[in-house]
Amino acid sequence: MQVVAEVCDVPVTEVTLNSAIGDFPAWDSMGQLAILQRMESEFDIMFEPEDMMEIEDVNDIVKAVEAKLEC
Amino acid sequence: MLTIEQQIERNAQRMTEKVALICKDTEVSYGELWERCCEEAKRLQEDASFYKGKRVILAAAGNAEFVYQYFGTHLAGGICVPIDPDTKEGRRDYIQSVVNEDFRFKIEDLDGIADIMFTTGTTGAPKGVVLTHENIAASARNINAYIGNDADDIELLALPVSHSFGLGRLRCVLSKGGTIVLLGTFANVKRFFAALDEYHVTGFGMVPASWAYLKMMSRDKIRNYADQLKYIEIGSSFMSIEDKKMLMEWLPSTRMCMHYGLTEASRSAFMEFHEYAENLSSIGKAAPNVDIRIIDGEICVKGEHVTKSYWNESPERIAQDFHGDYFRTGDSGWMDEDGHIYIKGRIKEMINVGGEKVSPMEVEDVLNAIPQIKESACCAMPDKVMGEVVEAFIVEKEPITDAEIMEIIKPQLENYKWPKKIQRIAEIPKTSSGKIQRLQLKVNS
Repeated sequence: MQVVAEVCDVPVTEVTLNSAIGDFPAWDSMGQLAILQRMESEFDIMFEPEDMMEIEDVNDIVKAVEAKLEC
Repeated sequence: MLTIEQQIERNAQRMTEKVALICKDTEVSYGELWERCCEEAKRLQEDASFYKGKRVILAAAGNAEFVYQYFGTHLAGGICVPIDPDTKEGRRDYIQSVVNEDFRFKIEDLDGIADIMFTTGTTGAPKGVVLTHENIAASARNINAYIGNDADDIELLALPVSHSFGLGRLRCVLSKGGTIVLLGTFANVKRFFAALDEYHVTGFGMVPASWAYLKMMSRDKIRNYADQLKYIEIGSSFMSIEDKKMLMEWLPSTRMCMHYGLTEASRSAFMEFHEYAENLSSIGKAAPNVDIRIIDGEICVKGEHVTKSYWNESPERIAQDFHGDYFRTGDSGWMDEDGHIYIKGRIKEMINVGGEKVSPMEVEDVLNAIPQIKESACCAMPDKVMGEVVEAFIVEKEPITDAEIMEIIKPQLENYKWPKKIQRIAEIPKTSSGKIQRLQLKVNS
């Protein structure tokens, strides 16, 4: 949530697990890429296009990161 | 030539039950669309503060309400000023103050004005491009003639409707009696493909940055739609030949029509990738009903789609943008003997961030107001998704971190204007007359 808040330039209190693409002005395609790149570098993981396409909200980000860390 | 509204009214009479709009699972028929636009016009006319020629600022969210407001305002005799709903307060205030001024030149011209579209001016201040009903109807006619749009089209609209490209797509499809599926953005790729499936979409418009994004997020999934997609309109910024060839291979029977144009002269040239396989580096030839000439090395355009003025700029100032009847695009180019046009470069200094034009001066003004910064200069930096992004060069008075700079910039500028890289240099290279040498900055970076 912290990463989404930083990229979208909104208070972290406004970000929930259900926050989704388009909920904040800066969460557009550029924002989505920035969020995913930050997750990749912070968790030292690499998303495949198939993973990225499924990510629509914060919940999906958490699940995708967890799945990568389990691999 | 019928106005766009007259064409929608005709469609409402001829195909009352046909679906015109789909927005979040709600279907709106042509009959309902016309009714809602007329209701909006009536609402405006009954408002005591409304008058013919009133400028109506519309937050152009890609939803059905915007569509009703846009055409309803035209029907009532108002002038639409569509702006991005996320426009920052400073820009919004500026636009509001400019359009609220009375039109100072040739008041009779107000009659035919449909829209004022604000674009990025070379000085950083937004410029209001005045488009008449004739301009926008001519533009839709030209585009539909080239792409081949018809009433069977089901188009997915994921482009912003605050810009000429997205708003133009809306007018093109509704004037032909096709169906528009309002998606609003490409950001959610899963939803994009789900909509292609669910509504049996036959075409869409995209900027090259949308394609780079789709490709990154979904590899070659678009190939699954090769038999379904009749057309894709592409425009607003440069697309590499590799990407054009990839699309040609993946979508062998889709008409992929790349346009060249400006808000002032929407879609002035077109090239369809398969037809122009031998001239993929060109911007094609003049669009139907458009004449293009290269005058003093500059691409100049003539046609009924070309604006005649900017809001509240004097005829003398506007005359500088024309060579006789030909509008000066600000792009330098050349034409081969077969009429293929090639761009050499931009005369105007703009940074094209995924189709959004950014004036370096607007960003520099914000940077220069930071007390720790002595002066700054911005230029385009190549980016694999957006095509170009903003790179800032600053001369510090006192040390300041990137994070501190961004904290100041973010509330003042839309996110596509935020510098992606900030470099500290000892001096900004300038000409003897004090003009920033942006080319020199690019070479040094």
